[in-house]
Amino acid sequence: MIALLRTEMTKAVRRTRTYVIALGLVALPVVIVFALNARGDRGPGRGGGGGEGLFRLADQSGLLVPAAVLSIMSGFLLVIIAATFAGDTVAGDAGWGNLRYLLMRPVPRGRLLIAKATVAGVLIWASTLLVGLAALIGGVIVFGSHPVVVPTALGAGVTGFQLSTSTLLLRVLIGAAYVAFGFTALLALGTFFSTITDSAAGAIGATVGVYIVSEILDAITEIGQIRYGFPTHYQSVWETMITQNKFSSEMVVGIVVQLAYLVVFGTAALVWFRRKDIRS
Amino acid sequence: MTDSVVRVDQLWKSFGEVSAVEDLSFSVERGQVCGLLGPNGAGKTTSLRVLMGLERPSRGTAALFGTEVRPGSRELLRVGAMVEQAAFVPHLSGMLNLRLWWEAHGGHIRDADLDTALGIADLGTAIDRKVRTYSQGMKQRLGFARLLLARPELLVLDEPTNGLDPGEIRDIRELIGRLTAEGATVLLSSHHLSEVEQTCSHLVVMNHGRLITSGTVSSLVGTAGSVYVEVDDRERARAVLDALAIVGKIASQGDGLVVDLRDGRRSDVAAALFGAGLRVETIAPTQQLEDAFLELLEMQPGGAGPAGSLPRAEQETP
Repeated sequence: MIALLRTEMTKAVRRTRTYVIALGLVALPVVIVFALNARGDRGPGRGGGGGEGLFRLADQSGLLVPAAVLSIMSGFLLVIIAATFAGDTVAGDAGWGNLRYLLMRPVPRGRLLIAKATVAGVLIWASTLLVGLAALIGGVIVFGSHPVVVPTALGAGVTGFQLSTSTLLLRVLIGAAYVAFGFTALLALGTFFSTITDSAAGAIGATVGVYIVSEILDAITEIGQIRYGFPTHYQSVWETMITQNKFSSEMVVGIVVQLAYLVVFGTAALVWFRRKDIRS
Repeated sequence: MTDSVVRVDQLWKSFGEVSAVEDLSFSVERGQVCGLLGPNGAGKTTSLRVLMGLERPSRGTAALFGTEVRPGSRELLRVGAMVEQAAFVPHLSGMLNLRLWWEAHGGHIRDADLDTALGIADLGTAIDRKVRTYSQGMKQRLGFARLLLARPELLVLDEPTNGLDPGEIRDIRELIGRLTAEGATVLLSSHHLSEVEQTCSHLVVMNHGRLITSGTVSSLVGTAGSVYVEVDDRERARAVLDALAIVGKIASQGDGLVVDLRDGRRSDVAAALFGAGLRVETIAPTQQLEDAFLELLEMQPGGAGPAGSLPRAEQETP
């Protein structure tokens, strides 16, 4: 298994696309930091809920920048990147015609699939953490690493709560981990799609498509409780750790939902891949 | 199970309503160079895919070294295969492709027969270039290098000379000859008749997913047509052969006779001539594999000839 992981990781890492993605994931937070720095209306008293609030608070402390950047990027750009890694797992090799050569050796298919999906998962986590790290370094350099006063509107006045440097850092780290874990469903879906097509582009497109549809449907509250099962529904609940100073129980539900997708689509991918006729 | 290197037994493979292979049975014994011959769509590649554990049979079995093949079978370690064109990870160098392919199984590249493989590939410094910069011929050569890494006992080659220039084709043919001389068994699929004729000792002929015939190349070519005979007394030879039931028309050609065979083998003709005390200078098939192959296809249902009256090649399978 370790040999498979090593070879699959080498194939993934030594790819120009991976370098370009890494470069983009470092560059974009830096650009955002510059944009925040160029903004004129700084100071406490701004805020609000969710990602917008984080973004508006971000110039108070560099420690908040990664939270703001992850909040923005986890909705689309990181989805595409994660789908790229996940959708490419099997279909990438199939598209090159290389899959049959991997499987004409005594390599159990299930083990190969798990190795490929694990590498994709590692790359997704690495991408998420790279974004956070780039934002953190850029943010601290430009805005410093001060404690933050997060405003909350109470009646006519404005009050707030303070998050110390260490608390903020810990919560940003937990937030980044939650964001990365939030792509588990996408990883499972992408891997499954990757086993049923020989086109990596098709698998990636299908995965992104499912996420876009999930986000659109999730915004329609009339759909009711079914939305709670969508892979994107709990995507941003981690932000309450910073914007409301509380750990939402929905984070736990979100983790369970991700695990459910992993079990269902991971199993489907394994079953399908083991039975599949390799014709590419 | 016998100790056949390859044994395919009543194999069926269907894709939905489409049947790619129907009731196919053949075997390849140790040391044979067996050609899997058939027109495009005959089911050759599908049969090889099943044999290599890439596809599951709908019915029947495919076995390597006496063990039924399943995806990931241990017996695959003893096989070097190139199914369709050689393919690699394009953004990696030839050398890294070889190393990763070998090490994915858990071994170390130093345990592979790398020197031989690199000698076969003969890519020079290009071995360290990315594969996406290779020509098709270079990829095929690298493909041969990869399949030789494990010092395979059996080579399974599907159209191995596709995309190669004449010089490269000759090199591949010589390579197969060398490996066979060293004891390797070869199963080679092709629709290039001259390639098969020059490379193979045995043949399995397929059409529409079914076995048409199997046997040695010489038996297939020799039984399905006519032979040219040169003897010291042509008229006496004509009289001797006229009396044989296996002989049809006899015609003079140059210094010899062209003898049409209804059935039987060249050796039957030779035995009759020797038995009559005639000195035989030459006895050779007048038709090449191409003639025999096309004749076989025409005699299939839907072909030009009568169904079910195939010339029977000498059966080599036990």
